[in-house]
Amino acid sequence: MTSAVPDDSLVQRAHWLIRLRWLAALSVAASTFVCARILGIALQERALYGIAVLLLGYNAVLFVLLRHLAATPGERSVKRTINLQISADLIVLTVLLHFSGGVENPLAFFFIFHMIIASILLSVWESYLQATLAVLLFGLLAALEYSQQIAHHCLTGFVRHCQYQEGSYVLGTFFAFAVSLYLVVYMASYIAVRLRRAERAQAQANDLLRAQDRIKDEYVARLTHDIKGHLAAIQTCLAVAIGGPISGQVADFVDRAYRRTQKLTAFVRILLRLTKLKLGSSLEMTVFSLGDAAGSAIETVRKRAEDKGIHLSGTLASSTPMVRADRDAIEETIANLLLNAIKYTPARGAISIEARAEGDSALLEICDTGIGVPAAELPRIFDEFYRASNARQVERDGTGLGLSLARQLIEQHDGSISVFSTEGSGTTFRIVLPRAVARRATESVVATDRHRVSVK
Amino acid sequence: MEARKILIVDDDVDLCDSLKAILEGAGYNATTATSRAEGMAKMKADQPDLLILDVMMETWHDGFEMSRELKRDQQLRQTPILMLTSVEERTGVPVKSSAGDPDWLPVDGFLDKPVEPDVLLVEIEKLLEGAQA
Repeated sequence: MTSAVPDDSLVQRAHWLIRLRWLAALSVAASTFVCARILGIALQERALYGIAVLLLGYNAVLFVLLRHLAATPGERSVKRTINLQISADLIVLTVLLHFSGGVENPLAFFFIFHMIIASILLSVWESYLQATLAVLLFGLLAALEYSQQIAHHCLTGFVRHCQYQEGSYVLGTFFAFAVSLYLVVYMASYIAVRLRRAERAQAQANDLLRAQDRIKDEYVARLTHDIKGHLAAIQTCLAVAIGGPISGQVADFVDRAYRRTQKLTAFVRILLRLTKLKLGSSLEMTVFSLGDAAGSAIETVRKRAEDKGIHLSGTLASSTPMVRADRDAIEETIANLLLNAIKYTPARGAISIEARAEGDSALLEICDTGIGVPAAELPRIFDEFYRASNARQVERDGTGLGLSLARQLIEQHDGSISVFSTEGSGTTFRIVLPRAVARRATESVVATDRHRVSVK
Repeated sequence: MEARKILIVDDDVDLCDSLKAILEGAGYNATTATSRAEGMAKMKADQPDLLILDVMMETWHDGFEMSRELKRDQQLRQTPILMLTSVEERTGVPVKSSAGDPDWLPVDGFLDKPVEPDVLLVEIEKLLEGAQA
C-alpha cells in the first residue's frame, strides 16, 4: 500500500490498539492487587503499579498524537506510530516480566497477543521484526537474570523454588517462546495478507462497477438525446399533417401516431433527465418557501383533480420552512407526486398536502385515499422502471421512471423521500429537505441571484 | 397587415420544413436556413421580425454564438430570438434560466424540442408583442 492518505481503517485500528492498552494498564494494576494482596504472591508491587501508570501515561500521549496525525494524514506516519507502539509495548511487557518472576512467569505468553496485533496492523516483514525484537528482549532478560547481572524477583507463593538458573529450563522456555512467536506471526500474517488482498480486490471491483455504471449512463444519455432529435422532427411533421386536409381513417391514424410520439417523447425526456442527474448536472439553488412551491404545484394540477372530482387541500401556512433548492425541480417533483396521486385515487377521493418545519428539516407530505401500494412491493417503487402491480392495472404504459426521478432529485438536495401505504386505502409520500439557514433579509438577495451548484 | 416574417435556423431539414408549415398555417411568412452562415445571410437580407434558432448545429454552441453575434449587430439586435433546443440534456448547462443573460445567452425565449404547435405559437406571439412595445 503506497497511498499517501491513510485509509480510515488503519487509523481506526490504531485507535483500537489504544483502547486495548487502556484495558491492559488497568489489568496490570488489578492483577497486581489480586496476586499480591489476595493470593499472597510476592510481587514488586510498587514497580508493577509504576508500569501501569507508565502505560496509561504513554497511551495518553499516543492518543493525542494519533488525533493530530488523523488531521494531517499520511499513511506512513500512522504506520510508524503503530510500529513504535508495539515495540514500546514489548519493552514494557519485558520490564513487567522482570518484576514478576522473569522466565518463570507464565504470562510471558502474552507476547503472542502483540504478535497477532502486529500481523493484523503491519506488513509481514515488520511483524517478523517485532517478533525478533520480542525474542531478543525475552532472551536478554533470561540471560541477564541467569548470569545475575540483574536481580531476579522470585514469584514466591506461586512457584515452589526458583528455576531461573536452571540452564535446561531457561533454554527450553526460551526455545518454546521463540518458536511460538514466529509461528504465530507466520499464521496470523498469512490470514491477514489474504484478507487485505480480498479487501483490495473488492474495492477495485466496486470502482470498476461505478466507472462502468457511468459509461452506461453516458451511453444512455447520448442515445436518448439522439432519439429525441428524431422524435422532435417526427412529432412536428405529424403536427403539420394533423393541421392539414386529411380526414376519416387517415386522420385517425395520424392522430394516433402523434399521440404515441408524444408518449415516447415524454418517456425519452424523463429518462434523459434522470440520466443527466445521475451524471451530475447542475441545480440552480435559490432560497424559497417550501409551502409556496407546493402551492404553485397544486395550481398546475388543480384542473386535473377537479375533472376527476378529487378534493385537493393544502395546509401551507405562510410560516412554512424555507429551503435552499432548485425551485423548478422541487415544484416539478411535487407536481409529479400530485399527478401520481390523482392518477391512482378513484373519483371523489381526497388528496391533502402539508408543509411544515421539524427541527432542521423541512417536511412535505402528500396523502391520498388512492389504491395504495401492496406492502411487498413498497420497497421497490423508487426503482427505475419498476411499477407496482396494481398501478399497471390503472395505467398500462407508464414509464416507471417518475418516482426514480423524484428520489434522484430530492437526494441531490441532500434530502430524502419516503413512502407509507396501505393497499386499498391510500398512500403518503414524505419529502424531507434541509432547512435553509434563516437569514431572510440577505437571503432574498441571494435568491434572485443565479447561484449554480454542481451536483456530483 | 403584411404577414410577419420569421426565420427558422436549424440543421435538421425535416424540423425546419415542418415548423415552416406550422408557422405558415398560422399566417406567418416563414423562411428556413440550415446552417449558421446561411442563417446570418438571411437575417441580413430578409430582416425577419423573429428568429427561431436551434442551439446545436455543426457544433454544440453554434446557436449560442450566432445569438451573441446578432446582439452585437446594431441593425439586428432588436430582433427577438426564440431558442429551440435540447442542449440542456446534452451538456448539463441549465440554459432555461440563463436565457436573457446578455453575455451568456442573449436570447428572448426558450423552448425545449419537440414543442407542441400551440405552445410555440403562443410564445411567438408573446415575443412579437414584446418587440413591438
